[in-house]
Amino acid sequence: MSGDVQTDAYQRNVEALVSKLRRRYRFMSPEVLTAGLITHLRQIVGSRRAALETLVVLRQVVTKARFSNIEQLVEIIHGAGRRLVEAQPKGTSLTVAFPGRHNMDSTEFSVGNTVRKVLHHIREEYRTAAKKVPEDTALSISKLVYQGQPRRRGMAPKSETDVDLKEDDLDDTDSFSRNLKPVFMEAIQDVFDELETVYDSISKSAKDHIHSDEIILTIGQSTTVENFLKAAAHYRNFTVIVAETGPTYQGHRMAQSLSEAGISTFLVPDSSIYAIMSRVNKVILGAHAIIANGGMFAVTGSLLAATAAQAHSTPVVVCAGQFKITPLWNLYQDYSALDFSDPSNVLGFEEGDLVDKADVINPYYDYVGPDLVYAYITNDGDHPPTSIYRLIKETYNDEDIEL
Amino acid sequence: KVAPPLAAIMALTELIEKSTAGTMFELSGVLDKGTQQLTDRVPNSIGLNAGCELFNLFVTVATHDLGVLSDFKDKLVRQGNQYIAEAALYSEKIAGFTNGFVKDGSVILTHSHSRVVMKALLHAHKRKRISVYVTEAKPRGLGLKTHEMLTAAGIPCTVVLDSAVAYVMDKVDFVLVGSEAVVESGGLINATGSNQIAIIAKYANKPFYALAESFKFRRLFPLSQYDLPTHGPGILPFPRQVPPPTSVTNGQSPSDDLKDAGPPVSPSAGSLARKSMSAEQIALNPEVDYTKPDLISLVISDVGILTPEGVSHYLVGMFAG
Repeated sequence: MSGDVQTDAYQRNVEALVSKLRRRYRFMSPEVLTAGLITHLRQIVGSRRAALETLVVLRQVVTKARFSNIEQLVEIIHGAGRRLVEAQPKGTSLTVAFPGRHNMDSTEFSVGNTVRKVLHHIREEYRTAAKKVPEDTALSISKLVYQGQPRRRGMAPKSETDVDLKEDDLDDTDSFSRNLKPVFMEAIQDVFDELETVYDSISKSAKDHIHSDEIILTIGQSTTVENFLKAAAHYRNFTVIVAETGPTYQGHRMAQSLSEAGISTFLVPDSSIYAIMSRVNKVILGAHAIIANGGMFAVTGSLLAATAAQAHSTPVVVCAGQFKITPLWNLYQDYSALDFSDPSNVLGFEEGDLVDKADVINPYYDYVGPDLVYAYITNDGDHPPTSIYRLIKETYNDEDIEL
Repeated sequence: KVAPPLAAIMALTELIEKSTAGTMFELSGVLDKGTQQLTDRVPNSIGLNAGCELFNLFVTVATHDLGVLSDFKDKLVRQGNQYIAEAALYSEKIAGFTNGFVKDGSVILTHSHSRVVMKALLHAHKRKRISVYVTEAKPRGLGLKTHEMLTAAGIPCTVVLDSAVAYVMDKVDFVLVGSEAVVESGGLINATGSNQIAIIAKYANKPFYALAESFKFRRLFPLSQYDLPTHGPGILPFPRQVPPPTSVTNGQSPSDDLKDAGPPVSPSAGSLARKSMSAEQIALNPEVDYTKPDLISLVISDVGILTPEGVSHYLVGMFAG
């Protein structure tokens, strides 16, 4: 990298977010406190918040970055993205679609996805602004095959002026960045706006998906699903059955929030999901991450609900923001849990006898295959699981999949 | 030795190089005749046709930029050779992708012999421990070739009877097969037996991965096995004239003779029924079969890891974009 591209301020910003992300542990037990400084609080809760914080950091990175051609900027953002992703608490079992130097075991995918989205926008803006003929115009057979790649059409370019981009200009090293920075900042602002309005966009179609007097089953506490159901409640009268979601019992909070909004809510234990499924019209779930084959990771218990629904031919609908769509694959079919949380929630230390004799596992997420999901409702529209692959090709660039 | 589609492109490139055509019309005539001859000469021409289709598409698109014919011919030849050089590296790429799916200690089932699968297995063997079951793949018995190569590389390998695939499926972690062609529906055309293995894998809930380079993508949409270009009235017919039943000896019932498409077994002294199929009987059986896309978990290709639906998006983009 030529030029002084890593200023102190940029470093400080990245470090701040890195330390905030590092403090995110699911263990709440005091025994695990380590020396001094680190306190085990979840400083950043939720994928959307992580994505928003990432955007804030990226915005500052781009503002302060100094670059004289597009590759330098991409390299800077890649570097920042890599550090942010590596700061995640390590999970298991996922790896990159294009395996390279290392496995990216992380559990908060929205960070990486946001970085990739920003890079995608930046590349698009650069392409429109540059308007220069790419070096490899010669038609070749392999180019023909790559034409098969789905491309998003009709993105309105931001730069109207026909500026002559002076890349790698030695006399005026800042001219390139000066000309394009405002354009890039606008692009980042677009991603910001999309993230801010994600709940509203998804909830817009709520009244069309839920009919009167329907019985909906949900599990866990997903803000997206909560907003979706509350939005529908303005237009329709329906009942929601919330499963407790042990051992975290997030379902309790969800049920409370929904009933405070005036929705008729039932709270049931996870074990009765199959038993009541014959009375349920729809299953609406939230997702932690949607992966490249159309499957998803969701809170433990989701696989139970989805399988029970399939046995009764009940549609399973997943509400998730587009920033959750991840270009990764679930390579290990048996380990679906990404993250394990405190086993004492399942079998407490007070059962002294059993603690020695039993292996206690408390997985946090389930992998739900694409054949179990009927449709994904995202802020970008509704898609069947088979189209997720296509969405990924349109939203992210291949070169950015491995940061 | 080279994959059939690449061989086809090589042949067509050479054809152009040596042709004395003076106009574009003559040149396309030469190409058409070449394609036709390739298809006619080889009984199983599915792979070859894939290569021809791709090359012809390229020529069609390149014709928009037609200058002087000799320059154009040079360009075609150059592009053809360049692609062949690039394509030789595709199987490396695919081996890299597949590596992510192989866990340490995996038990893999594969079918017959495939260059791409061999590369992928040998690549995975460098870092992880794998064991491989390979089907015999009668009648050509190419599975034995795979067994030889894998054993020579130090990978524990066992040959499985084609009929014992269901028996062994519960021990297997995933199935890996090569391909002759990947079709527009996202389905797979591969040596006979692949469909069977896919059905068993689906029933046993095991992933079924197909490895295919991008030049094997074809614009075919078979609705069933019998829609394949390789299928015809000569495949698996019943005999037109049922031979009269011979006298019952050696405990053989007359109905056995009727099912034989070959000459009836003469109950000569000490001879039992033939132990293996005769050449005529083998010729009545299909060489390739079609596996439907819902049985395939993923198609791993040099253009990326694709779901079967992704393949059809690709093909439409390629040929219609």
